[in-house]
Amino acid sequence: MTPASPAAAVPASAPDARFDPARAWFAAQGHLPFPFQEATWAAFAAGRSGLVHAPTGTGKTLAVAIPPMVLAPPGTAALAPPLALLWITPLRALAADTGHALAAAAAALQPHWRVDVRTGDTSSTARARQDRRLPTALVTTPESLTLLLARADWRERFAHLAAAVVDEWHELLSTKRGVQVELALARLRSLHPALPTWGLSATLANLDAALACLAGPRRAATAAIIRGEDRKKIVIDTLRPASIERFPWAGHIGLRLLPEVVRAIDRARTTLVFTNVRSQTEIWYQAILEARPDWAGTIALHHGSLEREARDWVEDGLRHARLRAVVCTSSLDLGVDYAPVEQVLQIGSPKGVGRLLQRAGRSGHRPGATSRITIVPTQALELVEAAAARDAAARRLLEPRQPRVAPLDVLIQHLVTCALGGGFRAEDLLAELRGTTAYATLAESDWRFALDFVVHGGATLNAYPEYRRVVIGDDGIARVPDAQIARRHRMGIGTIVSEPSMTVALQNGRRLGHVEEDFIARLAPGDAFVFAGRTVELVRVHELTAWVRPATKPSALVPRWTGGQMALSSELADATRHLVAEARRGVFASPELQLLRPLLELQARWSQLPEEDEWLIESIATRDGHGLFFYPFAGRLAHLGLATLFAWRLARAAPRTFSLTANDYGFGLLSPTPVPLARGELGRLLAAPDVERDLLAGLNAAELGRRQFRETARIAGLVFQGYPGQPNPARQVQASSALLYQVFADYDPENRLLAQTVREVLDHRLEAPRLALTLARLRGSRAALTRPPRPTPFAFPLLVELFRERFSNESLEARVARMVSELEAAAAT
Amino acid sequence: MPDLFPAAPPAADRLPPTDATPGTLPVVLGGETVVLLAERALHWPRGATLFVADVHLGKAAAFRAGGVPVPRGATAADLGRLSLLLERTRCTRLVVLGDLLHAPQGRVPALDAAVAAWRSRHAGLAITLVRGNHDARAGDPPPSWGVDAVAAPHLLAPFVLHHEPATPPTGYALCGHVHPGVRLRGAAGDSARLPCFVLGPRRALLPAFGRLTGLAVVAARRDETRVAIAGSTLHPLPAAGT
Repeated sequence: MTPASPAAAVPASAPDARFDPARAWFAAQGHLPFPFQEATWAAFAAGRSGLVHAPTGTGKTLAVAIPPMVLAPPGTAALAPPLALLWITPLRALAADTGHALAAAAAALQPHWRVDVRTGDTSSTARARQDRRLPTALVTTPESLTLLLARADWRERFAHLAAAVVDEWHELLSTKRGVQVELALARLRSLHPALPTWGLSATLANLDAALACLAGPRRAATAAIIRGEDRKKIVIDTLRPASIERFPWAGHIGLRLLPEVVRAIDRARTTLVFTNVRSQTEIWYQAILEARPDWAGTIALHHGSLEREARDWVEDGLRHARLRAVVCTSSLDLGVDYAPVEQVLQIGSPKGVGRLLQRAGRSGHRPGATSRITIVPTQALELVEAAAARDAAARRLLEPRQPRVAPLDVLIQHLVTCALGGGFRAEDLLAELRGTTAYATLAESDWRFALDFVVHGGATLNAYPEYRRVVIGDDGIARVPDAQIARRHRMGIGTIVSEPSMTVALQNGRRLGHVEEDFIARLAPGDAFVFAGRTVELVRVHELTAWVRPATKPSALVPRWTGGQMALSSELADATRHLVAEARRGVFASPELQLLRPLLELQARWSQLPEEDEWLIESIATRDGHGLFFYPFAGRLAHLGLATLFAWRLARAAPRTFSLTANDYGFGLLSPTPVPLARGELGRLLAAPDVERDLLAGLNAAELGRRQFRETARIAGLVFQGYPGQPNPARQVQASSALLYQVFADYDPENRLLAQTVREVLDHRLEAPRLALTLARLRGSRAALTRPPRPTPFAFPLLVELFRERFSNESLEARVARMVSELEAAAAT
Repeated sequence: MPDLFPAAPPAADRLPPTDATPGTLPVVLGGETVVLLAERALHWPRGATLFVADVHLGKAAAFRAGGVPVPRGATAADLGRLSLLLERTRCTRLVVLGDLLHAPQGRVPALDAAVAAWRSRHAGLAITLVRGNHDARAGDPPPSWGVDAVAAPHLLAPFVLHHEPATPPTGYALCGHVHPGVRLRGAAGDSARLPCFVLGPRRALLPAFGRLTGLAVVAARRDETRVAIAGSTLHPLPAAGT
């Protein structure tokens, strides 16, 4: 081996000879390092941090794994060197595969290294081994890392750390879990100020922000952004029905395309069928199996609420090409690549460009293969979205992921973690926090609040004598003196908060997975439902387990899980508006738009197709009331907010009640009496002042807040989740977050955690920032007011959404069918 | 209004409506006329007795000792509410159907001081505590509180006083422990959980009195009526549904 030379002595142009063993190892496998890998090696060798972005499966792992191995001194056979490389992955499922990849590289380059994995799934023997001595390279999750940092001796264990790597950084970035990682990295940097920190990420619109969060604001300027190999060709097309209905409604044509979906699956060797929500995977899996009973055993389903064991079986089946198709949700967005996957079907709109590309990238991993994703529209207007998504993907109009700023609940948890991890001095920890991007601008008052919260339980003046979570000793060091509190804190580390759920188990004890408590609460013993790909019947509920047996009768009842339903991204919404405006000018450039032409032309005939600088408002009298329909194309969440805002502002002028409806294209307000809307009034509706105040007034803000507070209460350690199947360690101090929310609201309304909760409701549940941008755009647009004689193709799906809440499934179908035939008759004249 | 207790006439709807003041509901339990109060208490006029269950004093302090900084105020509010009820009903006896205290960690000096001050306002009041599972761990209240702690079942004819639900061979049981609640569903997926009384032919479950207590949603049995408490109003519910 060439003797190591200082990085500065190596001319920039000459390849660094220290990496020759790595090049030789690559050559032995028949290929050369990619230029981006060499670039990463050189940047790392120069002591820089950085971010490598590229689709999955392009060699990002070896780009960052090789330098710490090559640059480390060789160990001896007697004792593996201490922890040098820390590898953080958000996915437990990914940890094992990453461990294998690192072990293979280490075997060639650092034979004395020990590579090991530590996650929530790690066996107690492996844990005990690691507790004696950490391996040289450790693959772990954010939660397991924070747990290590909560040990009094973490500084000794991490004393020789030479590099930290965060995998799938884009996935963590916009979450509190990402903030948790930022805080952990800051801890590590307090020990090793120059620690090279590298992130692996999918391509994002805001890579600079992603890098700043990873490396910290002070070091971001010298850190590198390296673009990985992006050589894969991606084909995006749609599965198009022979004809479309001109009055589309969600969910209607979805299963109508089942024969085409089955044919597509039949043609390829292995297919991933992505849906947007878990309940849809169950529905599609059943439908496909019904169409092709002979595929039993070769198709499977995969979503986040299934038992880990079942998911492992599916993943293994994919890896070894034993499965023809897997119906899945975002649970398979990430993770290792399954080489046999030839094509990807996307049921419904992907709602975002990044998500579309991510899912497309799950196919075509054979050399020279093409990634192929086929969008299966579930309602006609999704054809526009599909065409828009393809245009936006071609122009690389990717979505940004907005990092979280200074969440107080995560900070509170971190303070206790640091108090456990050898203790802290307040001023030192504040300096460390300000070295992260998330807390760089942390207000002094917020810092005081968080510190007082863990030390006194509230403001200092009002300290509780019995409260001793964190105690500052005479030496000025904050520690956790109570062993019970310490134990509970360790069990509660992390920011992942799940809905209250129940285990579903067969009577023989085999667990199928989890459904939300609310769903089970509505069932009586004997009721059947579809779950985990089977139809089961509830036998009884005991504690937190719903015992079921195979059902003797069919059922169409499918559990629904909260969350997961994404709103159309701004990038995709803009691309969609653009295509609609083109259609107005008679341009139908894609096959999707060609197919939609009758619908769009009818919309133009009865009302109008809006230009890009226009926004369409329709006033329609229907049998069910007078409707005002607005089409800002700003995504469902912002539309819900706008509908609430408009209803509130209209009702303030003249008391009346509205029914509200919203989808990704627009929203509607329905009233029993006509709603006059003068042009001048529009300005008042769109006015910027007090938007948030009016929004909160118009919503059931207390209920939304109560729900959102669950997460904060859990992260800040006010409620304890415990581990499933284990007795709750804290029965005496267990209250529901709803009760705590009420008590705080009644007796401590100034508590900053409540203010944070309101902020989170506004920003994340209602997309208030996007809503404000949309209002500004609309103020600068021309309003096109039309009075169509009857519901238009744009208005129709909004009306159906409204009825969905009022009618049972059967009467909805009948009612919609009647409306469609009436409207079609009108359109024919 | 549905017949409240087919098994135990006369039912509440046959009582003179003139008695009804907002937030009160007269019913007949075990042959005695009692009044349900929306403040989560039960008033027995003939016995000049007020019944409450599951007060959980010191729960906030126990939480704080466990590292959960629950704000002050709930205890004072609970004691204040109790005072108002005692003054309004002019009861001379208070019966707590178990769980007066939450946990040993909650027995802090501040609580002692608050209860002492409250007790001096009601010096002539007799207080009986039917010990509950939390009391067993927390221990009996100090003598200075002037509370007569007894074990369940305790007889106060025709009532048999319990903490955990029980159906006595004779008499009518008043019980706590469950913190009974109902879930009401509105349009568009709205739902609310409310505390309730559960009234059966042989026993009644009282809602938890303490402000800082949770709820257990209970299903109605065929022979039981649930009376939900929404703010300051009482709502007898039809038998079906949860």
